[in-house]
Amino acid sequence: MIETRNLVKAVNTSEGRLIILNGVSLLIESGEAVAIVGASGSGKSTLLGLMAGLDGVTSGDVLLDGHNLTQMDEEQRAILRGQLVGFVFQSFQLLPSLTALENVMLPIELKGDPEPNKKANQLLERVGLEERWHHYPNQLSGGEQQRVAIARAFATEARILFADEPTGNLDTATGAKVVDLLFDLNQEYSTTLVLVSHDERLAGRCGRIVKLVAGEIMSDERNVEVVSA
Amino acid sequence: MPEVNSVSDKKPLGNLLSLAARLLKRDWHGGELRLLSLALVMAVTSVTGIALFTDRLERALLLESANMLAADRIVSGRGVLPAEVLEEGKARGLRTAETLSFTSMAFSESGNLLVAAKAVTDNYPLRGDVIIADAPFIRGTPIPSGPPPGEVWLESRALPALGIEVGDTVSVGEAELNVSKIIVTEPDRTGGGLVDNAGPRLMLHMDDVETTNVVQLGSRISYRYLFAHDDLELLDEFEGWFRAQEEWRGRYYIRDIRDESEEVSEALERAESFLLLGSLFAVLLAGVAIALTAKRYSERHYDYVAILKTLGCTSAQISLIYFAIQSMLGVIAVLVGCVLGYLVHQGVFLLLQSVLIFTLPPAGFQPYVIGSLTAFVCLFAFALPPLLALRETPPLRVLRKDITQQKISANVPYLFGILGTVFLIYWYSEDLFLSSVLISAVAVIALFLSIVSYLFLRSSGSAGMKAGSAWLLAMTAARRRRKQNVLQVMVFSVTIMSLLILTLVRTDLIEEWQAQLPENTPNHFMMNITQGQIEGIQNFFADNGVESNPFYSLTSARVTRINGDLPNPREDDEDSLGGGTLTENARRDGAELNELGGLNVSPQSDAPPVLSGREASTGGRRVRGQLSRRQVTWAEELPDDNLVTAGTWWGMEPLPGYVSIEEEYADWLDLELGDRIEFEVNRQIVAAEVSSFRSVRWDNMQPNFFVIFSPGTIDHLGATFLSTALMEREQKILLNDLIRLFPTVVIIEIDALIEQIQTIIAQVTSAIELISILVLICGALVLLSCVNASLDERFRENAILRTLGAGKKLILTSLLIEFASIGIVAGLIATIGAEVTLYYLQEQVFQQEFSPHYWVWAAGPLLGMLIIGGLGINSTRRVVHTSPLAVLRSAI
Repeated sequence: MIETRNLVKAVNTSEGRLIILNGVSLLIESGEAVAIVGASGSGKSTLLGLMAGLDGVTSGDVLLDGHNLTQMDEEQRAILRGQLVGFVFQSFQLLPSLTALENVMLPIELKGDPEPNKKANQLLERVGLEERWHHYPNQLSGGEQQRVAIARAFATEARILFADEPTGNLDTATGAKVVDLLFDLNQEYSTTLVLVSHDERLAGRCGRIVKLVAGEIMSDERNVEVVSA
Repeated sequence: MPEVNSVSDKKPLGNLLSLAARLLKRDWHGGELRLLSLALVMAVTSVTGIALFTDRLERALLLESANMLAADRIVSGRGVLPAEVLEEGKARGLRTAETLSFTSMAFSESGNLLVAAKAVTDNYPLRGDVIIADAPFIRGTPIPSGPPPGEVWLESRALPALGIEVGDTVSVGEAELNVSKIIVTEPDRTGGGLVDNAGPRLMLHMDDVETTNVVQLGSRISYRYLFAHDDLELLDEFEGWFRAQEEWRGRYYIRDIRDESEEVSEALERAESFLLLGSLFAVLLAGVAIALTAKRYSERHYDYVAILKTLGCTSAQISLIYFAIQSMLGVIAVLVGCVLGYLVHQGVFLLLQSVLIFTLPPAGFQPYVIGSLTAFVCLFAFALPPLLALRETPPLRVLRKDITQQKISANVPYLFGILGTVFLIYWYSEDLFLSSVLISAVAVIALFLSIVSYLFLRSSGSAGMKAGSAWLLAMTAARRRRKQNVLQVMVFSVTIMSLLILTLVRTDLIEEWQAQLPENTPNHFMMNITQGQIEGIQNFFADNGVESNPFYSLTSARVTRINGDLPNPREDDEDSLGGGTLTENARRDGAELNELGGLNVSPQSDAPPVLSGREASTGGRRVRGQLSRRQVTWAEELPDDNLVTAGTWWGMEPLPGYVSIEEEYADWLDLELGDRIEFEVNRQIVAAEVSSFRSVRWDNMQPNFFVIFSPGTIDHLGATFLSTALMEREQKILLNDLIRLFPTVVIIEIDALIEQIQTIIAQVTSAIELISILVLICGALVLLSCVNASLDERFRENAILRTLGAGKKLILTSLLIEFASIGIVAGLIATIGAEVTLYYLQEQVFQQEFSPHYWVWAAGPLLGMLIIGGLGINSTRRVVHTSPLAVLRSAI
């Protein structure tokens, strides 16, 4: 489903060339829930960005549902994202000038799917925000905003979901509720989940944990507890 | 594995447009688009308002001006005009009329009077109305025709002089005609010459002229054909046809109001230039405001675009969304701006109602087109580039805030803005010279400004380090934002400069107009006064409370030799030294009369009539191969509005044998100080040495001369005298007594003309005031946009400072110092720029003399400090009143 082959990402800085990812190879099967963990600066968000086609690689290949992203330009990658991918970000990334309902409708409309309003309403109901559909992001709490973001991520029935520190901006209790919701929906929609976090408890909810250190895969282990559960 | 090209884009256009509409609506409600929309609406409002205003005013003034001619075009000439001119006009569908003016004696049983007779055909007047009354000295009513056959209309003051009443008869030549009405005024009275102004008006029908038997070979007649049509192109084509007839050149003339009245034409042209300049500045400033607000708007939309891209939007779709937003905004701004522009111009005309003496014709559709096109040019040049650049926003920004566009050059939007500005300036002015002056001025000043402000801001940092904490904060902030502040200082400077230029040009223009025709401008000219009559006339004026003005000797002279050689003037026509004042006709008609033979008006009629303006003194008989005769005078003192530009004026005890020459005439003759010139004066040769050159204000409606001799040089050669007087409307009856007491004196009445010019100037002045206000609003908008452009960064910086313990007072003081310093620098630079630009504008565009405006050197920096400081503090007050936590949270 998602495959990276000898992935390298380097940037030029004033102090010279900085290698962020160094020969990362990874295969994530369809339906898997994979956590990428590591300390700050280990390259986990960069890896997520490359796998989601948000950025170009320096060398190596990224294959997403069989499409080699490194052979695509940004326009093609954007179209592919619209068809395959959903996102949940640490800072929610909702459009502040659209209501909760409109934010959820947005990817459906962009994809051109029918009845965006109906689908978006169903999802808002599913995340428990049916009463808040007309509220703007700044009228919602952090947890509510993240729930809207999760509803949006599943709006197009994406096959792959990328989540970048989804609880990073939330308190523990709210974070836990949001994570429950995320994993419930992931299961319902049978989505492949790639989750980036430095929170080991959150990572522990995934069936596989990949640990990055200084841009290289330090470990790639099955999470027995989850798998057996 | 699926092929890459199987990835296809199926997003429906309707969804994207619906999203664009939603974003536009929400951004509007959220205030994101408020300044941008306001700037856009201001651009459309000011351009549409100004275009509507000038369109209607120009139409009205042209109509009013045409009324001064009683036609759109007149053809006049020496002797009977060729009938084919009239036929051609008719064939082209023009309306036509004929007039014939002559001086004659009118007789009644109890008296006689020299009258200015005018015979008119049925169609007269083609423009405007004749005002007639049933009794003398009362207000009249307009009528669009002249008297029917067998009747005459007489001017009020002729009735007591002839001892008659309305209904009595007068004899003109061999005809007995019934005085049926009083003629108060006629549309083209002011544009007439000597024969139209030599006495009170007597108007008769053209059919009666033959019965009078006064028009014979050698009679002094002013013939005119009048033409009118609403289609200006038809008139221009007819004029072109007329001018193409080589054999008529120099014998017959075609004129419109611009040839007829230099004073009106100059006032109109300058006002048009000013309005044009005003609208250029308004658009330029609105454009800058649009560019600044659009840039801020686009910066605030980086995140939107990044999110949209992660959700699958392509760059092309991003461009489409923002293009749609801009277009919708443009359409809304055009609609609102056109309505506001209409209201603004209506409001102004409402204000001007009391001074508008004519009905305004409706405006055409063109002003709305101009306003709408301006909106889209502004949008595409100033706003669209930064918004389209949004397409380059990398989607990775959803993960890393510090990433912005990488591919597109940051300067590309400015390039589009500059190109757009150049296009707009040229489009409006259709004047390559004015466009070049403005564009070069702005370019040079912008370069100068950037260097100066960069140097200032660089030095401010080290100065700040030595100062107290608020100063330290302000100066280091100014240095940190050096690049941004250079741009800000430039924008502030250009804005303040534009406002200063406009204010100064406006003030100078209005002052000059007021100086041109002050309250006490004489409105009657008296000529053919003999030496012996001077004292009597002075006493007559003193007895009747009329202020007497200087008497100028008047005789005609011709340059025959310069330093012993025949004169060798420049190639261009001598007439080019004269423009086309309203009094030119009088001079020309007078000259024609003189060529045709003796004049009954005056025993000393050899001297052609001299009124005012340069043509007044160019009147003279022209002999082929020789220079024209000029009206010359001698004087002890330098006349008003004359300025010695080289050499010296004779002192308290002047010696004979010197002459002062008008500088343009001297240049035409290639004269130098000390040259010895021989003049032929009254068939005698007089030699004089050139002791000075003078500049003369030709448009002051006063007697002016190309050549002035020192006392004792030509005094013995015999001359008549010329003087002027200011007579109020109620004093006009005195003219009868004056003519009775001094029958040889010819009086030219120009009071109606002066009133008309003063009215037009008052209207134009009001228009100028309005434009200044509109530009001021645009300027304020730019300043506001510019301050707002740095608001986001200031929010973040000050939130951090407050988190670190800085108090509100410290932050506010440092902001005040920063903005006030920028304001002082911007004000100072703007003053320098304004003075330099003004020098070019006044010398090259408005044909005014430039003099530095010292007060501006203090006012510019002070205004800059107050305006920028005030606006800055007002806009950034929120910075310190918003919770630091809220700011830092929103910045995450």
